[in-house]
Amino acid sequence: MDHVAQNTAVHFDPLQVDVHALPVHLAVKLFNSGLGAGITRAPRVDVISEELVPAPRLMRAWHPHWATPHTIGVQFADVIEAPRSGSSTVSPYPPPSPFDSDSAIPPATASRPRPNRRTRIDVPDSALSITDRLFFLLQPPIESLLSGQELLMPFEPFPFQYQGIAWLFSRSCGLLADEMGLGKTMQAISAFRLLLRAGQIRSVLLVCPKPLITNWQRELGMWAEEIPVVAIEGPSPRRRMLWEMQNIPVKIANYELLVRDVAMIGEDDFPAFDLVILDEAQRIKNRDSQTNQAARGLRRQRSWALTGTPIENRPSDFVSLLEFIGAVPDHSPSDIRQLNRLARDFVLRRTKDRVLTDLPPRLDRDELLELNPAQTLAYRTAEQDGVVQLSDMGESITIQHVFELVLRLKQICNFDPLTGQSCKLDRLDAEMEEIAESGGKAILFSQWTRSLDWMNVHLERFSPLIYHGGVPSARRDDVLAQFRDDPDCHLLLMSYGVGAVGLNLQWAGYVFLYDRWWNPAVEDQAINRAHRIGQQNPVLVTKFICRNTIEERIDRVLQQKRELFRAVLGDGDVSNTSLSLDARDIFGLFDLKAGRGDTLRSIQLPAADEL
Amino acid sequence: MSDPTVDSRTFRIGFLAALETEDGAFVAGLLVTNRYGRPLEFQCTSPVRPTRAQELLYGATLKPFLLGELMGRALLERLGTQPDLLVTDHDAILDLRNHIAIPMARIETQPDTVTETPGSADAPPLGRVRMGRRILSIHTAHQDDISALHHGATQVAEETDLQEPLERVRQALAETL
Repeated sequence: MDHVAQNTAVHFDPLQVDVHALPVHLAVKLFNSGLGAGITRAPRVDVISEELVPAPRLMRAWHPHWATPHTIGVQFADVIEAPRSGSSTVSPYPPPSPFDSDSAIPPATASRPRPNRRTRIDVPDSALSITDRLFFLLQPPIESLLSGQELLMPFEPFPFQYQGIAWLFSRSCGLLADEMGLGKTMQAISAFRLLLRAGQIRSVLLVCPKPLITNWQRELGMWAEEIPVVAIEGPSPRRRMLWEMQNIPVKIANYELLVRDVAMIGEDDFPAFDLVILDEAQRIKNRDSQTNQAARGLRRQRSWALTGTPIENRPSDFVSLLEFIGAVPDHSPSDIRQLNRLARDFVLRRTKDRVLTDLPPRLDRDELLELNPAQTLAYRTAEQDGVVQLSDMGESITIQHVFELVLRLKQICNFDPLTGQSCKLDRLDAEMEEIAESGGKAILFSQWTRSLDWMNVHLERFSPLIYHGGVPSARRDDVLAQFRDDPDCHLLLMSYGVGAVGLNLQWAGYVFLYDRWWNPAVEDQAINRAHRIGQQNPVLVTKFICRNTIEERIDRVLQQKRELFRAVLGDGDVSNTSLSLDARDIFGLFDLKAGRGDTLRSIQLPAADEL
Repeated sequence: MSDPTVDSRTFRIGFLAALETEDGAFVAGLLVTNRYGRPLEFQCTSPVRPTRAQELLYGATLKPFLLGELMGRALLERLGTQPDLLVTDHDAILDLRNHIAIPMARIETQPDTVTETPGSADAPPLGRVRMGRRILSIHTAHQDDISALHHGATQVAEETDLQEPLERVRQALAETL
């Protein structure tokens, strides 16, 4: 049986649902399922309303969050920018370098192409913290400061001078012991100028021998024109006021004034400095001297010492310098091997033959002269009488007795006081004639101001100039300027004591050592007034030595003494302990034995200008 | 061309460089100097090793993300002395420019390729400026930075080598590792 079953179809409408009957033809077979009642019941339809979405739904957006890295930082002190000034200090003297505009060696900043070198500041061993090490590592090469014109310099330094500046910059204690004439002054000025400009230091005390104060002022004007400087001088109230001035970063004082003013103000009340520099630091070689104690008593953060002769007499000289800079404790022993090791850590020393291959050579010659007849007579008489007297003194002989005889004989070698005869003057006169004819200039050194004054009279035709302790300080610069500028002045007569240190006389091509000083280091200092940076010609050094006299014997001893210097600052023989003549040497000049207590004592040499 | 808002007396340059350690971490350092190269401030990060998630997510852009967005920005935020110009020699670091408002430049690899001053026949091509001894280029998406470069070129000396401070930064970073 066919049944027409009715079913329903559902039409969706978003708003309403309509139900319509649709005819559906289905073949149906009946079987007895027992569900008859259920079949006859109309199906139940539920209507559910569902809202449609226009687009598939996404998960929530995910933003990654990364932890910010940890950082460490270093702040540098405020930089003091210099005004861009076109002005430059006009020095009455040529600069102590081949950067001289008058020099044949072209200044690097003008025409010589600047080599692409970089001198970095070393990280000192004393810098332990990372921030301290970063401070040094992040400093620019010294050359870049110059190329950026932040540091106006009149002339470009040599590479070894850049290294010296960088070395000093990074050290709180250091001894710059460059050989004379390599520009220690300029290196020190540039280094503390950098420190001042970097805000690392604010006050500098510079201590130097009195005759060199004007030299330092001149060099400061040339190499650090923007830095205010004051020289401590004048009566006590004024000096006290100058010491207390806060707004002058650089103060210059001489050693004698320092001793006096420390006593006047008192060590505790004396101002403290960020940096103390001792020039010609061998002045504190005697650790018991007032000068040494005054220098060591200065309150300071940094200590630099400058000297070309860190050992003048014996290793203890060097120890005194190391004590000042704080490299060793006070009263340290003078063990030479230990000093050699300390020198590597705390001393920077360069010699001309290593760094200045362009420097004209220094030609040394010993002029062995025969005494004139009158001199010979006077000399032999004095020597025989003297030796007889000394021998007669027996055990009561002292170093002073021998020393007086040495001085007497040396004076006769210079000239006979009765007749004025002098083999040295005769030779000098002949050589000066040649020098003057060629337009050259010569410097002459003597131990005695009296000899210098005597020569001044006898060499008048060469228009000599005198430069010794008897010349007032205010006039000395004028003397040097006249010697340089006056073409008729061919000879400068200088004493070792005043003329041997710190002066730049590189326009002189001849040096005469009329008599010999007791210490070859002092002689070298004297010679290096002329044989230094800026010298364009070979320097001829003539040492007058009278044959068969005390001078010949002294010369032999001095030759042997030179070895000590190399022993401490190099790898040479370490057996010698004294560079200057000591008591044993003086006695040995006459084959005399030193008296009791004089064996190891050094003679107290009088200052040159006292003679 | 110079930016009048930047005081020539205080023109500062930031030098941003990074190092990769042997174990795949990175450290970055930022040195701010005055126009003469004198250091004013230095900041550096501790070593940062990229995570696996970062490697997967950033893929080829991992280094620009790490060195620029993550580390470079952190360094800049720590600075007390803000630079007027940031200089780097690393392409990836230059990406930092997309995240900061300070002009940035990258040093070209070949020094002294141009010897004449800007404006001459041999002047650097568009988008590049000679500054000191180096040629600098800017981020392609930040063409306005060119004016900052021109101003910088008037501030540094001809002899200045802008590569040198970046070497200082790398040396300092090596010291911190």
